[in-house]
Amino acid sequence: MAAKRFLDVLEAFNRAKKGPKVPEKDWDYNIIPTNAAALKEKYKLNFGRQIIPTDKATINNLFLAGLEMLVETGVYNCDTGRVIKVTEEEVKEGIKRAPKRLTMGSNRDSAQLAPRKGNASVKPIIQGGPTGAPVSEDVFIPLFQSYAQEAIVDTIVSGVMATCEGVEVKTKTPWEIKATLAEVRAIREATARAGRPGMSI
Amino acid sequence: MAMKPWDSHEVSQLNELKIDNEGLTFVAGWLAQGDIVMVEQMPIFGGYAGGAEETAICDVATTLASFGVIGGSWHLDGPIHIRWGITTARETLQIAGHAAAAIDANTDLLLGNQYYPVAGPCTEMCLLETAAQAITDTASGRELVSGVASAKGVALNYTTGMEARMMGEAAAAVAGMKVEKVNQILEALVSSYEKQYAKAPKGKPFQECYDVKSVLPSEEYLEVYGKACKTLKDLGVPLKE
Repeated sequence: MAAKRFLDVLEAFNRAKKGPKVPEKDWDYNIIPTNAAALKEKYKLNFGRQIIPTDKATINNLFLAGLEMLVETGVYNCDTGRVIKVTEEEVKEGIKRAPKRLTMGSNRDSAQLAPRKGNASVKPIIQGGPTGAPVSEDVFIPLFQSYAQEAIVDTIVSGVMATCEGVEVKTKTPWEIKATLAEVRAIREATARAGRPGMSI
Repeated sequence: MAMKPWDSHEVSQLNELKIDNEGLTFVAGWLAQGDIVMVEQMPIFGGYAGGAEETAICDVATTLASFGVIGGSWHLDGPIHIRWGITTARETLQIAGHAAAAIDANTDLLLGNQYYPVAGPCTEMCLLETAAQAITDTASGRELVSGVASAKGVALNYTTGMEARMMGEAAAAVAGMKVEKVNQILEALVSSYEKQYAKAPKGKPFQECYDVKSVLPSEEYLEVYGKACKTLKDLGVPLKE
């Protein structure tokens, strides 16, 4: 049956209040491994030693197995202890609705995130940064400048400022907001020092 | 000085196929403003799902959930090894390579991957691990590579721009290469470092890799980088000078 419309986060939350109740341990230790193993068997998946698949059957069967995993298993909401169920049609609407091209950054420092399709001759976007690794306040700007000044780097990914004004930052406190904004300001300064003020974070 | 419309806001799914209300609430706010939403998740090889095939199935499901359930703009993957805490192991490269190829062949979704090598800055091992993942991600059809969280991303200031240089140059070098040839290169490249995880060098912090005032890399790091480039060229990676 066709989807009424795509699933948005509001409807996902509604379903997280009404979906099947499941103990989290059962989800982690029973439902996930059991369903994944059954789909591996159903779709006869065996990767061998190959790192990138070259046969179409493996490529397409893995996609079908993953789609079925999502539809048959759902997504678990840790706060409500319930499963968000989603139909195949809704997933396909979500795929259709997803952006096909994004502009990251502004003016001459922008980069286009667009489908490459297989190993196309165009390189992927190169996003340089510590990727969540901790960085101390005193070297935060020069460390990020070291990424922004690399010619091959297109955009920046942040790290974690270890302290903010010398204070250790804890989640779910006002310092989390202050530290996040401090990170953004410092990265903007770093990209500006590298002569690339419009780089995306 | 806050986030701009062309920046990406990040929300994480949890392992495996889980999310919380906080994540959904943040996304609702960002989407209401028309922001770019990047949904991140790092499936664990050897974790709840099990082996490589099972984890890859979860990886595909999780990626599709980023768009079909959460409404994200692009997905940042990062299959990670439960024993070593890295994304550059053979098994995690295999999961990432298979998941990306499967989704790329069947959709136009925008896919990224993140980098956690075991070795640290100013070591050839770190650069070779980074190159292996960049080669895998590029040849399997990903649109974005994001890194590098060197030394497993846990040590203070153990990340530098030189690792990102290698990530980018290795990706550019293999873009367009036949996948069969890429797999041959990866077999030799991964075999060259995968026995060394337990004794991997931590490397040096940023302050010892760069002049912090001029932000120029050290002669030592440039020599290590050159050595890694030679190793990769000998393996068939056509890096540009």
